[in-house]
Amino acid sequence: MRKLIYLVLAACVLTLCFSANGWTLGRETVIKVGINAPLTGDIPKVGEGTKYAAEMWLEDVTKAGGIEVGGKKYPVELVIEDNESKAESAVTANTKMITQDDVMIIIGPQSSKQAIPAGDVANNYQTPMISPWSTNPDTTAGRPYVFRGCFLDPFQGPVLANFVTEEFGFTKAAVLYDVASDYPKGLAEFFKAAWEEKHGAGSVVAFESFTTKDTDFSSQLTKIIKSGAEVLFTPQYYNEVALIVNQAKDLGWKGPIVGSDSWGSAETVQLCGEACYGLFFSTHYAAAGAQGATKEFIDRYNAKYGYVPDDVGALTWDALRLAQTAIEGAGELTGDIKKDRTAVRDALAKIKDFEGITGKMTFTEEGDPIKCAVIVKISDKGEYEFYKSICP
Amino acid sequence: MEKLKKLFSPFSVVPLAGWLLGGFSAVLMEYYLGDLISYYLYLPKIPVLFGTLIMLKKPLLIPSALAYDLIVYIVPIFLVARLTAPLTNGLAALLERMPLWLATLIHLAAFYGVLSTWAGISDYRVLVVKLTMISVILTLSLNVINGYQGEFSCSHPGFMALGAYASSILTLLLFANDKMFGAPLLNPALGPYLFPLVLVFGGAVAALGSLIVAIPSFRTRGDYLAIISLAFLFIVKSAIENLEIFGGPRGMSSQPNYATLPVVFSWMALCIWVVHNFTTSVLGKALNAVRDNEPAANSMTVNTRKTKMTAFMFGAFWAGVAGGLFAHVLRYVNPGTFGLNKLAEILAMVYFGGLNSIYGSIVGALSISVLSEALRPLELFKWIIIPLILILVMIYRPHGLISFTELNVKGLIRPRNKARQEGGE
Amino acid sequence: MDIILQNIINALQWGSFYAVVSIGYSMVYGVLMLFNFAHGDIFMVGTYIGFGIATLMLALFSAIMPGWMIFILVILVTMFLASFVGVFVEVVGYRPLRGAPRASAAITGLMIGIIFETGNLIILGAQRFSFPALIKSQSYNLGGIYVTNVKVLIIAASLIMMLSLHLFIKKTKWGMAMRAMSYDFLAVPLMGVSINVIAPLTFAIGAGLASVAGILYGQAYPVLDPYMGIQLGWKAFVAAILGGRGSIMGAALAGYLLGFIEMFVPLVFPSTFRDLIAYSIILVILTFRPRGFFGMEHSTQLRL
Repeated sequence: MRKLIYLVLAACVLTLCFSANGWTLGRETVIKVGINAPLTGDIPKVGEGTKYAAEMWLEDVTKAGGIEVGGKKYPVELVIEDNESKAESAVTANTKMITQDDVMIIIGPQSSKQAIPAGDVANNYQTPMISPWSTNPDTTAGRPYVFRGCFLDPFQGPVLANFVTEEFGFTKAAVLYDVASDYPKGLAEFFKAAWEEKHGAGSVVAFESFTTKDTDFSSQLTKIIKSGAEVLFTPQYYNEVALIVNQAKDLGWKGPIVGSDSWGSAETVQLCGEACYGLFFSTHYAAAGAQGATKEFIDRYNAKYGYVPDDVGALTWDALRLAQTAIEGAGELTGDIKKDRTAVRDALAKIKDFEGITGKMTFTEEGDPIKCAVIVKISDKGEYEFYKSICP
Repeated sequence: MEKLKKLFSPFSVVPLAGWLLGGFSAVLMEYYLGDLISYYLYLPKIPVLFGTLIMLKKPLLIPSALAYDLIVYIVPIFLVARLTAPLTNGLAALLERMPLWLATLIHLAAFYGVLSTWAGISDYRVLVVKLTMISVILTLSLNVINGYQGEFSCSHPGFMALGAYASSILTLLLFANDKMFGAPLLNPALGPYLFPLVLVFGGAVAALGSLIVAIPSFRTRGDYLAIISLAFLFIVKSAIENLEIFGGPRGMSSQPNYATLPVVFSWMALCIWVVHNFTTSVLGKALNAVRDNEPAANSMTVNTRKTKMTAFMFGAFWAGVAGGLFAHVLRYVNPGTFGLNKLAEILAMVYFGGLNSIYGSIVGALSISVLSEALRPLELFKWIIIPLILILVMIYRPHGLISFTELNVKGLIRPRNKARQEGGE
Repeated sequence: MDIILQNIINALQWGSFYAVVSIGYSMVYGVLMLFNFAHGDIFMVGTYIGFGIATLMLALFSAIMPGWMIFILVILVTMFLASFVGVFVEVVGYRPLRGAPRASAAITGLMIGIIFETGNLIILGAQRFSFPALIKSQSYNLGGIYVTNVKVLIIAASLIMMLSLHLFIKKTKWGMAMRAMSYDFLAVPLMGVSINVIAPLTFAIGAGLASVAGILYGQAYPVLDPYMGIQLGWKAFVAAILGGRGSIMGAALAGYLLGFIEMFVPLVFPSTFRDLIAYSIILVILTFRPRGFFGMEHSTQLRL
């Protein structure tokens, strides 16, 4: 018992020593930016791209001495949280960053399945959030504090349907998509609706699906080939694209295959090889032949991490730059994080014609940007060539 | 070990009520002085999970975080608990003379007080506590099947999904104005009061779903439950993905915020109580008998098939309730959540904590959820450390940390100042 | 008609992977009565080993050796290396737990699997790799049915592997010891056959087979990722139990059956319902044949 009392006394003295000059030190105001990224889980590559882009941005900002708000420079800190590619982890990560780390603004989560519930949290705590990559309308719908950095599925579907019709003059299309993943499924349905509106009901002759992590699509592809479709649309991620394209060729598919922005990763061509040369997809930006700020970003990223950034990296970069512009435009920081967050949100909503590396952006009332889509052709060298740009 | 025992010997006279009082004083102190203390210690804010997150992110702050834990938690808890021991022992003796249910309720209320004050510091804590308590319910319900019944069931995420969807559909339909079902059918003010019924409905749907697994798999004994339940998991997931009216893979969002801390807490307490009663009842004992020797149990007039089915449905029911709570805590469900990852997580909690034991399930759920939250800054390495801990536990304690014990409430809350023949804890 | 024939060939290829991987489950289940949940990830590790060896061999020998020789060399070296992974899993994860509840061993397996996945992610990063083509894929059109040489190779190689395994188990002393072990787990060690030899052997064979399956898989689906073993593993597990306890023939047949179900369901029904219908069929099969196809007559007693 006595020993214990000594122990307690010692501990108390120790803490008193600690606190000797605690009174005099004020807590510095630091602008914290939260990053909610899937560093582990199903799509680690997406998390990696997010993290790298964020680190590059931080480097820039630190070099400039912080973000200047109301004539005063504030240091910036990143709070990177892993959401394990799970909905509940995205929610806890957001809650933690908002209530614990006092972040000014949150960038992420990337996929819609996490961005929808996490956006709810951000909106409830009145913290601005920009999801760079989530294309599902529900993410921002009815949530004044939630924004996104990319165009929406209802826009991309018709863009592709129009492009295929104009470019090739086809009337019969087939779709192959992942039924268990909301992004491909949503886009597949928007494409189908747009296509059937153009060419009449039944013009999508095969509407086939598979489940996440499947690697064999031969049964569905056989059905598609026998259906007499002229073009195959598959809004899948890069790893599946490589398999689908190769298997389709092996099974005797001769027509073009068209994809969406999820193709826009450097790995698509690397995994797919020559089978993918000459195919088209729509995306946010084209890496090959880019100019100006976009090229600068790509070159820097490539030099630093050894590969050409995919759309996630570019969109995250834009989202961070948007956040920076909004913070700078917030007037001044009061130190009351709640007021500052609302000020940042208002500044964000007011941004007009923001020059991002993925295009010009102006937010609608829902917090969705009005952006152009880019059609990219994979060249014979495996590079992503700008083919045409389609604006809303 | 001996030294450690000696160091703690002064505390063997502290009853549960004393620890609760100690805890209460600690959280009160944190509530009023936490900000000041953390300010002194150069901590940016009150450390959220005992400073673990800060320690892993900024190793320089380790001494500060440790000092904070010492000042705010360890010292007050032990000091108050020990100093008030005579008082709390008197209280415990008083409580012991009361009916057991009353004494338990009082303890639970006190515990809830401590918990809610602690969690009240930040909403992140509230969320972690809620998710942990849901894990406790899930783990307990799977323990009924995999522990008390001795089967290997893989369908728990499926039951959870059924419960989550059934209750979400009901609350969205009845009490919420949303895009999917339009205006509420009932007055939304009624919602929180009818929420228990909604959860029970979710549980009942899960229990009904469990019949799909139970009917074919309990015809014979063996490992077929493992794959039938696995097939069931795939079926449920695929079915929900195809149900376009309930959002398909996009899931359902904006459930009303009914699963508040007291609601989740009382459901967890209820679940512990019911599972305890179930496993100590005649049926529970029959279940153990079936597990250990089915023919012998059969010859002792145990209706083995019925016993197994009942227990299985019971487990599924609670998984459904947990799913309903889960959906209303996150306020979003999608089928992707209830996949093989979730299965591995729940299985790990059950076997880590220990089979056939309520304490074990609580410990398992608590440690895995808190660990996976606290180690988050480690990113990838978290998924090396947690599996390693589990493997080590399995190797050194193959039945889990605390297995084959019964919940003894009376022993837990008794006063500790008189010598008892069964020895102190 | 050709659509059916085409799908038969597709299903044979797809079923081969289920069959070969599920044999690994089935053998461990037969000998040790354990679910080896690490097997899917052993398959993943085997594929990555094969990837490394193949890249190395192609760099070293592609000038001096014909393609098929490199292919065989890669298979042999990978099998050898991968069998150590199997032994490692047995020694670290399962041996300390012999006599413990079976489910605890299953959890260790699951956790070793997670460590493999995460370790892979830490070492190799988030990038996905493309398996180098050891055999140049060529597509032949046989009257409307498209067959590639890779497909033929996969089906043939799997059949050869299964046949040689069958002979090994039926004809050799080691095989006899394994069969004995699966018949009576307790009496066989008394006959002087050490479980500490048979169990690692079983794991080694399973891992070796899985790694060959991995190389073949890499030829057909050349995208590697650290989580590739999970889904295939769980489904092969279903096939292994469906085949009947410890029955290699049963596991192989069930693997092919699963492949056929997964291929033909999208042909008849809308493909969105594939998993729903495929697993409902399995549920129905098990309802009427609760012991699987080749399950032993006596009911398996759980050791808990």
